[in-house]
Amino acid sequence: MSPALLENEERCFGGMTFFAQSHPAELCGSNGLPLTPNSITILGKSQFLKTINHPNLCSYLDIIRSKHERTIVVAEYCGKPLASLENLSVDKVIRIAYQCLVGLKYMNKFGLVHSHLSPENILIDKNGTVKLFNFGLYYMTDHGKNVSFPIGYPKYTAPEIFLSSGMRSVKVDSWSLGMIIAECLLGCTLWPGYKLSQSLRKVLSLVHTENSIFERISRENNCFNIYEDLPEDVRAFVNDCLQIYPSQRKTPETLLELPIFQEFLKKDDQDRENSLYENVIQRKMDELYYLWQLAGGDMTIELKRQGLIRSRPPILTIPNLVILLGQMFGRRDIAGLLDLRVVKVSLELLSQRLSHIPYVANYPRLSNHTYAQEPNDLTDTASQLPLIIRERDTEYQFYRIVLFNRLLQIYPITKDAIKREAHKDIPPPVRGAIWAALLGVSGDIQTKYDMIDKETPTHTDRQIEVDIPRCHQYSELLSSGAGHERLQRLLKAWVRDNPHYVYWQGLDSLTAPFLFLNFNNEARAFACLSAFIPKYLHKFFLKDNSAIIQEYLSKFSQIITFHDPQLANHLKSITFVPELFAIPWFLTMFSHVFPIHKILHLWDKLLLGDSSFPLFVGLAILKQLRDFLLASGFNECILLFSDLPEIDIELCVKDSMSMYQKTPSSITYRKHQYDQSKAANWNEPEVGTEKIPRISVEDLIYLVENSPDKVLVVDLRNNIQYERGAIAGSINIPFTSVQLAQDRITSLGPQATPLSENKDRIVVVIGPNDQNSALFAEFLIGCQVFGVCSLQGGIYALRSKASNLLLPARKEKGFF
Amino acid sequence: MASRGTAQRPNGTQGKICQFKLVLLGESAVGKSSLVLRFVKGQFHEYQESTIGAAFLTQTVCLEETTVKFEIWDTAGQERYHSLAPMYYRGAQAAIVVYDITNQDTFTRATTWVKELQRQASPSIVIALAGNKADLGNKRVVEYEEAQAYAEENGLLFMETSAKTAMNVNDIFLAIAKKLPKNEQTGNAGTSGQGRRLVESEGQKPTSGNCCK
Ligand SMILES: Nc1nc2c(ncn2[C@@H]2O[C@H](COP(=O)(O)OP(=O)(O)O)[C@@H](O)[C@H]2O)c(=O)[nH]1
Ligand SMILES: [Mg+2]
Repeated sequence: MSPALLENEERCFGGMTFFAQSHPAELCGSNGLPLTPNSITILGKSQFLKTINHPNLCSYLDIIRSKHERTIVVAEYCGKPLASLENLSVDKVIRIAYQCLVGLKYMNKFGLVHSHLSPENILIDKNGTVKLFNFGLYYMTDHGKNVSFPIGYPKYTAPEIFLSSGMRSVKVDSWSLGMIIAECLLGCTLWPGYKLSQSLRKVLSLVHTENSIFERISRENNCFNIYEDLPEDVRAFVNDCLQIYPSQRKTPETLLELPIFQEFLKKDDQDRENSLYENVIQRKMDELYYLWQLAGGDMTIELKRQGLIRSRPPILTIPNLVILLGQMFGRRDIAGLLDLRVVKVSLELLSQRLSHIPYVANYPRLSNHTYAQEPNDLTDTASQLPLIIRERDTEYQFYRIVLFNRLLQIYPITKDAIKREAHKDIPPPVRGAIWAALLGVSGDIQTKYDMIDKETPTHTDRQIEVDIPRCHQYSELLSSGAGHERLQRLLKAWVRDNPHYVYWQGLDSLTAPFLFLNFNNEARAFACLSAFIPKYLHKFFLKDNSAIIQEYLSKFSQIITFHDPQLANHLKSITFVPELFAIPWFLTMFSHVFPIHKILHLWDKLLLGDSSFPLFVGLAILKQLRDFLLASGFNECILLFSDLPEIDIELCVKDSMSMYQKTPSSITYRKHQYDQSKAANWNEPEVGTEKIPRISVEDLIYLVENSPDKVLVVDLRNNIQYERGAIAGSINIPFTSVQLAQDRITSLGPQATPLSENKDRIVVVIGPNDQNSALFAEFLIGCQVFGVCSLQGGIYALRSKASNLLLPARKEKGFF
Repeated sequence: MASRGTAQRPNGTQGKICQFKLVLLGESAVGKSSLVLRFVKGQFHEYQESTIGAAFLTQTVCLEETTVKFEIWDTAGQERYHSLAPMYYRGAQAAIVVYDITNQDTFTRATTWVKELQRQASPSIVIALAGNKADLGNKRVVEYEEAQAYAEENGLLFMETSAKTAMNVNDIFLAIAKKLPKNEQTGNAGTSGQGRRLVESEGQKPTSGNCCK
C-alpha cells in the first residue's frame, strides 16, 4: 500500500493582510469618473508574483480584495521564521545567508526588490531549506505608492532609503540581509527595546562610520569578543553587505561570487543533476490551494478566526472630525494598516479530504494510443452530475487536474485525448492551457508575441482606449491597471499582426476571456485569440464585413426556421430580424452579452465545435425566451434583448450541443466559412433569398444509409417520374398538386400525415428544380413543420451521386 | 416632467398619446448610452458597456396636453458601424447628435452626422445637438458659443448635458417632445412597433409616429 497523498506534508498556507491607501472620496480621474481603488491596482499588479516559483521563495497563491481597501495575501509558508531559532552555528548562519542570496538573486532577475526582509519572513524548514516569505510586498504596492505605511523594518532598512525617496535598488536587500546576519552571528538582538524613531536615528548614525559597520555594531552591543572570533571571510561578507554608499555595496548576485559561497554553489549544481533522475511528484502549491478552497478552506475566515480581521461597528470607522473643506481627521490609525502577523494554516483539512487517495494517483494511467484512462470509476459516475457540482467536488477535481496535467505535459501528441476529456468538463485551474490545446496552440508563442510591435501609435488607439475602460469592468482583474495595460497590448498586437483586418468594437470583449484566463501569460492569450478568430470569426473583422455578417445572420434565420418554425413565423410577422439584436452575439461569440464566468462555460463547449456552433447557442438563447417572444410584439421583443434577462448557461450549452449534433453540417454551410472542404458544387442563390436551408447530397445519403428513421424525404416530382425511381420510404407530393396559399398540411392529402406529426425528423424536400423545392419548403414552414430543408441540386444531384438509392417504387407506394 | 418606466395614463381619455422614434448618433464614448440610461432609468454607470450594433429602449414623458412615448435607438459609435446607422435613423422623427465637450474631434464628427441626417433622413426630423460631459468644465475644449452658433445656423435644438450629474438630460428630451408635431394624422397608439419599420425602403413614407388619439 502506498502512502497517502499528502502524508508528511510540511508546507502550509500563510495569510497576511494590509490596507491599501484609500483615495480621498472627492477625488476623480481626469475623465470625471472615480479613480480605480488602490486595492484593485494591487490585485492586478500582484498577479505577476504568482509566476515566481523558486525553491528559496514562498510562492504566492492568491491575492484577495476585501472590504474597505483591505488586501489579503496568501502564500506558501514553510517551516519556522529565523527569528524563532537560537544559537545557530556560524556555518548554519552562512548556509542561511547563502540561500537568502540565491532567492534574492532570482527575484532580482525579474526586477523585484524585496525591501521588507526581516528575521520574521525568512523561513527555514526541517531540512534547513530557506524560503523568503512575502518577498513581493514592495512590488505589489507599486514601490509602496499604493499604501500609506512605510515598507521595511526600520532596524534593517538601508540608510539611503531614509535619505531619499527614489526607487529602491536591489542593494537595499544586501544591507538588510547584512544586518540580519550580523544579528544572528552576534547572537543578540541589536538595539533591543528601541522605539521606531530611535532605531531610525541609530541607522542614520551609522552613516558616519569610518571603518567597519559590523565592528561598530558589535562594540555598541557589547559583543566585540564574538565579532573577533568570527572567521575572516564571514566578517568580510557582512562588511560587503553593510556598506554605507550603495555604489560600494554589492548586489545579491555579486555577493554570491564571494569565496565563502563557492562550496555551496558547487554542491547545489550537483544536487540539481542528481535530482534529474529522481521521479518524485510533489503536488504544486497553487493546485493544493485550489483544492483546499474547494474543501472549504477560506483564508479570510482564518484571518478572522485568529483576530487579524476584526469587524468593527461602522460607527467606529467614521472620522472624528470632518471640516467643510473635506479634510478628515481621526480616521484610521496608520499603524494598523499593515499587520505584520502571519496566519499559518496547515493542509490538514485537505489532506483529510484526500486521505484515501493513494500516492500513486499522482500517476494517471495513460494507455497506449494516448487514450486517457480514469484511475477509477469515481470520475465516470461523477461526470453524470451537474457541472457546478463537479466543479465543487474536491476529489473529482483532484483526479481531473492530475489527468489533464499529465496530458498537457506531453501535448501536442495528446491533442485528441485532451479533446475527448474536455467533452466531459475542464477543471478551472487548467482551463487556460486546455483552451490553448483545443485551439491547437503550440510552438514558441512567446517569441512570436515579443516580436510584434505593440507600442507604435496607430489610428485605432483612440477607439481601443475608450473601449477598454468599458470592457468587463465588474471583473477586478480586468478593471485593474495591469488588466488595462495587458488588454491594450493584446489588441494592438492583434491589429498589427493582422493587417488585412481592422479593429471592430467588440474585439475587446472577445479578447477579455483569453486575458482573464492567461493573465500572466499574454503570449498564450494572444496565441489563443489568433487561433480563435480564423476558426470562428473568419473574415468578421474585415474592414467591410457586411457580406459576412449578413450571410451569418441569414443563416441564423434559416436555422431558427429549421428548428423552430413557429417562432420563426412569429418573428417574421413582427419583422423582428436578427440584424437588430444578434450582431453583438456573433461578432463577439457572446462575450459582449454574458459575464465572464458564463462565457467560460459556454466556450468550453464552443471550442469543441466548429464555426456553426454559435448559431445553435443563439437558438438556445431564443429557446429560453421563447414563450415571452411568442406572446410579444416588436417593442417588447427588442426591449428584452436590449437588456437581456438572466440566461441559464448550463441549459443553454446543453441545448446548443444537442441541436448542433442533430443538424447535418451542410445545413449550416456558409460561403464565407473557413472550412471550404465541402464547397464544391454549392451554388446557393443570393444570401437572404431562401428562408429554408439546403442540405447536401452527401449528408442526405449519410442519413438515409445510417439513420433512416431520422429523415423524411418528400419528393416533389410527378407520379410517373417518382415511380421510376425514388428513395425508399419517401413521400411523393407532386409539386403541381400543391396549393401554396394553404397553410394546413391536411390540404396535401393523407400521404402527408407523417409531416404534420413530425417532431424530430429532418424533412428533406427533393424537387425537380431548386425553385420549386424552395417554394414548397416555405409552404411547409407556413404549416409549422419541423426540420425542413431542401436538397441542394435537387433530384439531378441525387441521381448523379447516388443513383443506387433511387429504387423503383413498390406497388402500394404512391397510391392512395 | 419625465415619468419613469413606460407609465401610461390609467385611462386613455385623458390627453393623447404619441409615439416617436428617436435615434442617438455620435462618436463612441461621448456618452450616448449614458444619456439614454439616465433618461430612461435615472441611473449612471461609470463603466457603461460599449454598444455594439444598437440598443433599444422606451420612455414616456408627459406634456400638458399629450403623453409622448419615445422609442429610442441607441447606436454604436465606432465609424465602422456607420453602415448600420441608416437602418436606425430611417423613419426616425427625432435625433440627438451627441459630442463630448472635452474632445474636439467628437464635435467635428457630430457635424458630419448632422449633415448626413439633413441629407438622408426624413425632412421633418427634429435634430438636437447635445454637448455631453458638461460636468468636466475644466477640461472643456469645445466652447459653448461655438456649438450654439453652429446649432442656430442649422436649426438644431442645443443643450450641454451631463449624464453623470443628470444636468439637462430630461430637458433635452422634453424640448424635443415639445417641438415634435402632435397633430397630424390620427392613428392608434395602442399598436406597438409603429416606429419599427427599420428596413423599409427610402421612398416609402413612414407611417410611423404621429399616431395620436
Ligand atoms: N464625466 C462624465 N462621464 C460620462 C458622461 N457620460 C458618459 N460618461 C462616461 O463616458 C464613457 C462612455 O460613455 P457611453 O455612454 O458608453 O458612450 P457611448 O459610446 O457614446 O454610448 C463611460 O465611461 C461613461 O461613464 C458624463 O456626462 N460625464
Ligand atoms: Mg454606447
